[in-house]
Amino acid sequence: MTSRHSTGGTRGARIRRLAWVAWVAGCACVVWTAAAGAHSASDAYLNLWTDPAPGGGATQLHGQWDIALRDLNFVLRIDDDGDGRVSWGEVRRHLAGIEQFAFANLELRAPNGKPCRVQPSQELIDEHADGAYLVLMFDVACAASATTLKLDYRLFFAIDPSHRGIVTFRNRADVATAVLSPERAAIDLHF
Amino acid sequence: MVSPTGTFCQTALPAWVLAASFAALQVPEAFAAARGAEAAPAVGAAFRAPYRPASDAEILQEVPSLADPAVGHMRDLRERLDATPHDLGMALDLADAYVDYGREVGDAHYAGYAEAVIAPWLAAPKPAARVLVTQATILQYRHRFEPARALLGKALEVDALNAQAWLTLATLDMVQGDYAAAGKDCARVSASAGLQYGFACAGNLRSYLGQATQGLALLHQAETADAKVPVGYRAWIHGLLAEAAERLGDWPLAEQQYRAALKLLPRDNFLLVAYADFLLDRGRPEEVLGLLAEDAQSDTAYLRLALAQAALHKPDASRYAWIMAARFEALALRGDDFFGREQARFALELQHDPQTALDLARRNWQVQRAPWDARVLLQAALAARQPLAAQDALEFLDKTHLQDPIIEPLVRRLRAQVQSAPAGAQPISQAGR
Repeated sequence: MTSRHSTGGTRGARIRRLAWVAWVAGCACVVWTAAAGAHSASDAYLNLWTDPAPGGGATQLHGQWDIALRDLNFVLRIDDDGDGRVSWGEVRRHLAGIEQFAFANLELRAPNGKPCRVQPSQELIDEHADGAYLVLMFDVACAASATTLKLDYRLFFAIDPSHRGIVTFRNRADVATAVLSPERAAIDLHF
Repeated sequence: MVSPTGTFCQTALPAWVLAASFAALQVPEAFAAARGAEAAPAVGAAFRAPYRPASDAEILQEVPSLADPAVGHMRDLRERLDATPHDLGMALDLADAYVDYGREVGDAHYAGYAEAVIAPWLAAPKPAARVLVTQATILQYRHRFEPARALLGKALEVDALNAQAWLTLATLDMVQGDYAAAGKDCARVSASAGLQYGFACAGNLRSYLGQATQGLALLHQAETADAKVPVGYRAWIHGLLAEAAERLGDWPLAEQQYRAALKLLPRDNFLLVAYADFLLDRGRPEEVLGLLAEDAQSDTAYLRLALAQAALHKPDASRYAWIMAARFEALALRGDDFFGREQARFALELQHDPQTALDLARRNWQVQRAPWDARVLLQAALAARQPLAAQDALEFLDKTHLQDPIIEPLVRRLRAQVQSAPAGAQPISQAGR
C-alpha cells in the first residue's frame, strides 16, 4: 500500500493508518456494492386507550407497550449465557429491571404537574415483522379527572437517537397516532 | 386527540398494519378491522396475539452472540469508554465498531448507537473532522444524502486531506449520478489515501461510464494478494470487480468475484444482497434461500428472500410478501426513512402494482441514480405503460453511456414505446410533479 501522506511516520503509525483506511474501504461498500437498503431501525409501539365507561372521577388509561427484545438486550444484557438466543426464562429473570428501566423513561402528568401512577399489570411476548417484542401491559391512574395529560417519552433516546416511539391513542371512537423522537419527546393527550 | 407538541397525524393506518405492528391492541375493533382487510388471510398464519410463553426454555429472539469476536470487541470498547467518557479517540473507535458491525449484519440500530456515542463531540462548536465524517457516514447509511454531504464539506474545511471524507464523497457522487464530481473526488482519494484507493475509485467510476473494461483493469490494479492487507479492503475490491463484470455481462467473472468477496467476509449484508440479486437475475432463486437463510433480520436480505420464494412459487411466498409489506409500513410509520429502490421493486415484483412502483421509482430517481435505480424505474415505466415517465432516466443513460446487458434492452423497449406514443402525451404518474 502506498500513501503519499503518511508523512514518513513510524512503521506502527503506518500500520495503524492502513487499518484505518481499510475501514474506510469497508464503509465505502455501504454504497458501492449495494447502494440502497431498507434497514429496520429501532421502534417501540405504545398503545394507550381510555376506559370505555369512565363514569366521572379519576381518569383511567390502559397501556400496551411493545419493546423489541433486541433493543432491551443491548441495554440490559438479557442474554445471560451470551449464546445469542434470548429465552423466556432470561426475559422473566430480567423483568423487574426491564420494567424499572422502561417506566423510568415514560411519564404521564396531569395539567397540575402531578405525575400519574403507572401500574404494570402483565408481561407478554408479541411477534412483530422484525422480531419478538416484550409486551408490557399497564394501567395509569391520575389523581384528578383531567381533560389533558402530558406524555413524556424517553425510551432508548440516550443510547440511540434514531429510536422512535410510535404512539397510538384511542379515546373511545377517536384514534390518533404520534411518532416520538428525541426532538419531539412530549405530546398532550386530549380527552 | 393528540396536540401539536408532538409529531402526529390523524390515523390513516390500514387495518392490517395495525394487526402487524401493534398486533392485538386488545381493542376489539382493531381485530375486527384486521379480519376484514385485504391481507387478512395471511394474518392468522404469520401473527398471533400477544402470549405468555409456556416454558422458560422457549427461545424468543436471536441477538448478537458473545461468541462473535466483533460483539466482544464492541462490549470491551463500550466498557473502556464508560471508564473514560471524555476520550474522543475511544468514542470514535466504538462508533466505528458500531457502524461497521451494523453495516455488516444489515442492522440499522448500530448506526443509532454510534450516533449517540459521538453526539457530545458533534455538538461542540468546532467538531473534529473524524467526528463529522463518522456522522456523515451514518447519515449516508440512512440515505440522508444532503445532510451527509454538508457534513463532509465541513470535515474537508477542517482537514482537506481527510481520505475517508473524499472516499465517502466520491461514493455519494457516484450514487447520485454526478460523475464529473466523482472524477474529481477520486483524484483527491488518490492523493489522500494512496494510489490503490485511487485506482479502486476510478475503476468503479468507469464502470458507470460505458468503460467497464477499463474499469476492470483499474480495479485489478487495486487488487492485492498481500495477506497483511485487511480483509475489508480486499473484499471491497472483489465486490467492485463483481459489479463491473456484471456491467459487461461477464457472469462467470462476476460470480467468481462475489464468491471471493464472501469468502473474506462471509456474512457481509451488502455483499450477500448483491450476490442474491445476481442469483435472482440468473434464474437461481433456490440458492438465494440458502445464501440468506441466516439473514432474515436484514430488510434488504428479506426482500430477496421474498423474491426467491415468489420465483419458486413456494407455499410461504405470500407470507414473506406480507411480512415485507409490514416492515415497509413500520419504516413508513417512522416518517423519516425512504428506501425507494427496494420499495419500488417490492411494489412491482411482489405486489404487481406498476403504478405505485413507478411513483416510488420516480421519487427514488430524484435521490439516487445507481444502475439498479435506473433499472427499477425503467421496469416500472414499462409495466405501467408510461414510457415518458422514464424520460429523465433515458436521457441520463444516454449521457453516461452506462453498459448493462439487463438495462439496455429495457431502454430499447422504452424508446420504441416513446416513439409510438401519441404526440403531446404527458407522463401521467403522480410522483415527481
